[in-house]
Amino acid sequence: MGSSVSHAAAPPPPPPAGLAVALPPKAEEKSEKKVDYLNLPCPVPFEEIQREALMSLKPELFEGLRFDFTKGLNQKFSLSHSVYMGSTEVPSPSSGTIKVPTAHYEFGANFLDPKLMLIGRVLTDGRLNARVKCDLTDNLTLKINAQLTNEPHFSQGMFNFDYKGKDFRAQYQMGNNAFYGANYIQSVTPHLSLGSEVFWLGHQRKSGIGFAARYNTDKMVATAQAASTGIVALCYVQKVSEKVSLASDFMYNHMTRDVTSSFGYDYILRQCRLRGKLDSNGCVAAFLEERLNMGVNFILSAEIDHRKKDYKFGFGMTVGE
Amino acid sequence: MSSSQGRRGSLPGTSRDGEGGVLSRVTSSISQSPVVYRGKRAASEAATVTKKLLWSTGRAAWIAGTTFLVLVVPLIIEMDREQQMNELELQQASLLGTSSPSMAAPAPPK
Repeated sequence: MGSSVSHAAAPPPPPPAGLAVALPPKAEEKSEKKVDYLNLPCPVPFEEIQREALMSLKPELFEGLRFDFTKGLNQKFSLSHSVYMGSTEVPSPSSGTIKVPTAHYEFGANFLDPKLMLIGRVLTDGRLNARVKCDLTDNLTLKINAQLTNEPHFSQGMFNFDYKGKDFRAQYQMGNNAFYGANYIQSVTPHLSLGSEVFWLGHQRKSGIGFAARYNTDKMVATAQAASTGIVALCYVQKVSEKVSLASDFMYNHMTRDVTSSFGYDYILRQCRLRGKLDSNGCVAAFLEERLNMGVNFILSAEIDHRKKDYKFGFGMTVGE
Repeated sequence: MSSSQGRRGSLPGTSRDGEGGVLSRVTSSISQSPVVYRGKRAASEAATVTKKLLWSTGRAAWIAGTTFLVLVVPLIIEMDREQQMNELELQQASLLGTSSPSMAAPAPPK
């Protein structure tokens, strides 16, 4: 009798939650909803139009050893130390590029606030990088990017003013070397956004205009860009599942008659992120970030160029958030 | 042998001299005849083509092998690890899942 009482008091078995989630939701009215052209979503910024493809196809490949350590002192402030030992490619006039062994230590400080972001880095080879991002009002953002070097005439600075409207974004750029640029991107339908940019280079009296289009749904992103400098770039990213996405990219340079196409995959698993790429120039590259521990990442980078017989392998660790 | 007999007829004045001379003339006629010459050239061309074929097969195998090693092997290793972790979690979840009702059942009769 005691056992029957305990059975009545036993908790009911859990509902088949897994099966209910697997059935498609009944309310599939998203496809039949009328498009409200006055309430379109805000498009991505113009320079991030190919963001997904660039993230998958162009990881930061390196050769040698790389070690990054980030220490947060505060909720907003953090310091970073970074060591790099390896070869870098230096374009030489005689025989293309030559590999020069370099090593440097980089010290950096970051201040992150919802309205203000300051990032500074100083390297032992005499370079200083600084980035400022400041929200002046709700819609207007100021970004400053500066790179100072020891060599004369190699320093660069750029000011960007971004305005975010309801379904458009506009940006105005001013840089040293008398560089002026502006771009504008507008959402035309809930999935399609079109944009264009103009720029003017003062010292060389060059100007250019470019157009871009981006079509994205939940599963795929397709972008196309054409510029008067003779560059046409198309890219397509498909999210095959929540862990896997495939990307492909096509670039044509009319001035140098150069065509490049590449295809890559991006696997985001729980413990690692693996990106692989295959190129039409005979280049094969892979980049692996593996999480060894909480906050400790192990990085492996490989790049094989079959045509030029150039092999670059690197490994590194990233400690800290 | 029959071909050499036929060839001997094409060269006049070879059957009149002594035996040694006949043998040397026969072998020289064999080694200088057009068929043998064409056969040698074909054999050397076949050897060159075979060598190039082996060399390019070797190169293609090297490119395919290293590309497979860089692109596919890390993927296989990582997917295997992910699967192992999933199995471990499933095992742990089933272990924890069966232990809690059995511990809750004796408690209410108190």
